[in-house]
This record gives sequence, C-alpha cells and structure tokens, in this order.
Amino acid sequence: MASNEQTPVLEVKGLQTSFFTPDGEVKAVDGVDFSVNSNETLGIVGESGSGKSITSLSVMRLIQHPGKIVGGTIELSGEDLLKKSKQQFAKYRGNRLSMIFQEPMTSLNPVFTVGSQIAEAVRIHKKLDKKAAWQEAVNMLKLVGIPAPEDRAKRYPHELSGGMRQRVMIAIALSCDPELLIADEPTTALDVTIQAQILELIKELQEKSGMAVLMITHDLGVIAETADKVVVMYAGEVVEQADVKTLFKQPLHPYTQGLMNAIPRHDIDLDELEMIPGTVPTPQNMPSGCRFAERCPYARDLCVEKHPELATPSNNVDEAVTTGQTRCWIYTDEWDGPNPTKGVATNQ
Amino acid sequence: MHIFILRRLLQLIPVLFGVTLVAFLIIQLVPGDVAQVMAGEAASQAQLDQMRENLGLNDPLIVQYGRFLGDLVMFDLGESVRTGQPVMDIIAPRFIITVELALWGMVVAVSVGLFFGILSATYRNTIRDYGTMTLAVVGLSMPNFWLGLLLIYWFSIQLGVLPTSGWGTWQQVIMPAITMGTAGAAVIARMTRSSMLEVIDQDYVRTARAKGVSERLVVYKHAFRNALIPVVTVIGLQFGYFLSGAVLTENVFAINGLGRLVVDAISQRDFPVVQGAVIVLAITFVFVNFLVDIAYRVLNKRIDLN
Repeated sequence: MASNEQTPVLEVKGLQTSFFTPDGEVKAVDGVDFSVNSNETLGIVGESGSGKSITSLSVMRLIQHPGKIVGGTIELSGEDLLKKSKQQFAKYRGNRLSMIFQEPMTSLNPVFTVGSQIAEAVRIHKKLDKKAAWQEAVNMLKLVGIPAPEDRAKRYPHELSGGMRQRVMIAIALSCDPELLIADEPTTALDVTIQAQILELIKELQEKSGMAVLMITHDLGVIAETADKVVVMYAGEVVEQADVKTLFKQPLHPYTQGLMNAIPRHDIDLDELEMIPGTVPTPQNMPSGCRFAERCPYARDLCVEKHPELATPSNNVDEAVTTGQTRCWIYTDEWDGPNPTKGVATNQ
Repeated sequence: MHIFILRRLLQLIPVLFGVTLVAFLIIQLVPGDVAQVMAGEAASQAQLDQMRENLGLNDPLIVQYGRFLGDLVMFDLGESVRTGQPVMDIIAPRFIITVELALWGMVVAVSVGLFFGILSATYRNTIRDYGTMTLAVVGLSMPNFWLGLLLIYWFSIQLGVLPTSGWGTWQQVIMPAITMGTAGAAVIARMTRSSMLEVIDQDYVRTARAKGVSERLVVYKHAFRNALIPVVTVIGLQFGYFLSGAVLTENVFAINGLGRLVVDAISQRDFPVVQGAVIVLAITFVFVNFLVDIAYRVLNKRIDLN
C-alpha cells in the first residue's frame, strides 16, 4: 500500500450534492470525505439510495440538472476540480480521471463503431490525427483482452456481448492513462464468470499503470476482491471507513455488520439469509439523529436524538483495531455500558 | 448495403403495380365519358361510338389496363383530350416546378424544424422551450394559404420588397418556400424535441460526457445522430404532403406547378392529364419513401433488413 506521505490522487472533503426538486432540496450526498492514493483501490459500498453513485458522478462533475454540488472540495492531485471552469474541467474528464458505468449494454453509442468511440477520446485529449487515434483504439482493445482487435474495432456495439462491451468501456476510460478510474458497479449487469474477468482486468491494468481506482458497488464480494480501503455509505453519509482487512475482521457500525450478515455464504448452512429490516430513509424525511437508528437493533434515545460524527472509535473497541473510523454512538465515550454488538453472533 | 438497396428496389415493383392499378381504376370509375369530352356536346351517337372504338374504350378493362401499362413503361401517358398534346410533355415542366417548390419548402421545414427542435430539447422547460413550442403550435395551426396571403400583404404590399407571384427568380422563391415549409417545420420541431429528449438521458450520452466530449458535440453528434432516426420518417412524409399540398401555395402565388395543372384538368375533365399527374406524384412518393428507408439504414446500424 502507498505511504501516507504522498498527496492523494483524489481527496474529497465535505462533499455535498443536492437535488432541487419541486418539493424542496434533497440532500443526496451530505458531507462525504475520503481519499485515494495512486495504485490503491478505494471501495465505496452501500445499498441503493445511499448516495454512492451520486458521489462518483459528482467527482466527474456529471451531475445533471436539477442536481448540484453545493459544498465541499474535490481535489485531484492537489487541484480543486470544483474551482475549474467547464472548459478547463473538460480537458481533465476522460483524460486525467475517467469513469466506467454499470450498464455496458446501453453505455456505448449504438450508431458509432466501438473503435471510433475509443478513438474519439484519444483524439480529444491526445490531439492525435484520425489514423493514429484509430491505431491507438485498436491497441486499447488489445490491451483489454479483446481478440482480433483490428476487426472488432469496426464493429458496432450491438454486435458485441455485454462482457465485451464492458471491456470496450474500460478501453475508452483508460485510453488516456488516467490518474483515477471510477468504476460505478462495473460488474453488476454481467454474469458471474464475466464479473470475475472484468475485476481481474481492472486490477491487472491498475498494476501496469499505477492509477487510483474508486470502486463503487453494493457487493461486499467485489470489495473483498478488489479494494484496499473501504468507505461504507448510508443515507448520503459515510458511516464507516477502514482498510479492507480491518473492515472484514471487525465491522464496527451496526449497518456494516448487517451488510456482512446479509452475504450469502457457501461454507455455512443457512436456511434463511439475514437481512436488515426496513429501508433507507428518504431524503425528504431524514431523521435528525443517527440516520440508521430506526433500523438499528441497538438504538437508544441518544441515537434518535443526536447525530453522531464520523470518528475514530474511543470506546468499546479492541486496541488492535482502531485504524478505521465509524459514525456510531456505541464507540464514543457518551455510550455508557458495554458494546451491545459484542457477542452477537455474526456469521463472519 | 448494395444487396439491401437492390432488395428494396425489387420490393417497389408490386407497390408500383398497385399504384398504377388504382390510378387507372379511379379514372375508369369516376362519372364522365372521355369520348363525350373529346367529341364535344354536339357529337352524334355514331361519332361517339366511333370515338370509343378508336380509343379502345370498348375493350375489356384488363386489356385496357395492359395497354395502359405498356404505354407507361415507354413513358407514354397518352394525350390530353383537350389539346391533344402528349400528357408527358404537359406534366414534365409543371412537375419540375412543383418539385422545386417542395424542395425549397423542405429546406425551410428541415432547417428551421431541426434547429428549433434541438434548441427546445436542450433548454427543456425553460422560456426558450415554451416559446418555441408555442410558435410550433401556431405554425401548425395556421392554414398555409392564409400565411401566404399574410406574407404577400407584408412583404409585397406594405414593404414592397418581394414579388407577389411567379416562379423562377430567388425573390420569387422566398415567400412560397416559407408558406410551404412552416407547418412542416412545426411538425419536425416537435418530433425532434421529443426524440432528442428521449436520447439525451441515455447512458451513452453520459459516456460521451465522461470522455470529455464538448457539450456541443454531445448534443449534435452523440444525441442528435440517434434522435434523427424517427425524425427522418417525418421528413419523408412531409415531402409527400408538400408534393400533394403544393396546389394551395401554387394558387396563392400564381405558380404554374403540377397542383394547379391537376385542378384545371379535373375541372375540364381532362382525364389522361389527371391520371398522368396522379401516377407521377405517386411514383415520386414511393421513391421518397425508398430514400427514407435507405437513410434509416445508414443512420441506424441495428436495422438489418437483409
């Protein structure tokens, strides 16, 4: 893992993104901090509506009306991206930072060949002529493991399978050697064997280029496979962050524990999967206390009344695992009594 | 692609058969007697019988149709019963004028329609969008002969900058083209707007943005190329309407196009001319649709009709 001294490739501080609907402001992302170093993968995990995709789109400045980034800073190698003009930022997007999306089937333009779609990015950022850009596109297809790249480059997206198309998306994203790759659920729409191949490919390409990767997913399996550090998001906030080993060894936040318990396992016989009761609160009626309180089995009056901060645990935790941070009253000094999550059987 | 075009051409054959048959039958079925028209009111029964025999009107319909088709493939549409001139010679110059008129109308309709459609979609739910769409409703609702008269009133009578009538100089083209094109522009603008709105939120448009493509290219290249596909159909249909609807514009601006010719021929019961005009217009319409099919294929790679 990279040393802590270097400037992170991406550092997000206090990011707030809201949608201005006729019913008022909806805070989809509400004060999120994280950072990723080069050659490092940060996993952002959370269920639908947790704000993880909006976070990644905010970093790319792809939030569309009526959404707006209303606060915080996003720094790419020390440069504040939110201070760039649209024209300045367009030079970075797809060049220094790029993104792949969840839906490979619909993410490529159906009326252009895949080669021309890769070449377009190359031409924009590397200022190559048409022929050189096409050659670069073919090279990229080869790099992402597409057989017969010269021929495939001339194909239209509908002529390729989902896995192939996601490889093409990766080729587009990596064609300009970005410092940061954002992968928003890159494998969710693919079947399981293809999923593993795509994750393997991203890892391999990261090793070659040393880029930082932001892996957005709802799947803890993907996190375990790819991430070095993990951020758990819930209702627009970070509720826990830790390096991946710590997180899996000792998940602190009751929500993280719930997620872990909900993973289907093949080594333990279970009749029924654990689940977290209830749903994510809608941004329109966000609780003023802990946002997870109404679904949390350990919630007390304190949790409902006061909003906890993301902090290094100072209570109810082993000395050995204090590398992470969590947003839960249990691990603060205000919590009197033992850790209620201790001794509760988790199937980890 | 060549095979595709060839197949589409072959598929035109039965359509053209149908078109000629209908044109042939309509003239047979309308009341009125060609022989009577040619011989005049004062002709005797014997003269009429002779006339019918000469024209082959006593033969069975199928024989007459066969003869009609035989002449048609030789580009022979018969002679006018009024003047005796070959119908082809009467129609050809008129047809060219009407096609010119329709094409200029298309230029107005397509350029104005696409421009405002895209504008409206990119500024959706803003004052520009509402303004454009209100204009579109006005353009669509206004009878084009009335628009033509208004234009004549403003530009010819009040301002005196454009000629009131005729065809040939560029000044004479402007007002008829606007008159013809306005309603089409409104239809195309509305179609373009809804089609653009459908594609502008697609994932591949977001991908284009994520690549760093400029917003202008995102709209005009990535979104528009996809949005154009349904719009092309509307454009093709509009051209058909323009050809058949040219008569109003031609009358307002006193342009000697095919529309006026047909109206005159109908009132004079000059059946061969009517028939010839119907066939020429129908074949043009079929051909335009053929071109639309090809354009479809070029625009949308997913269509595989081979």
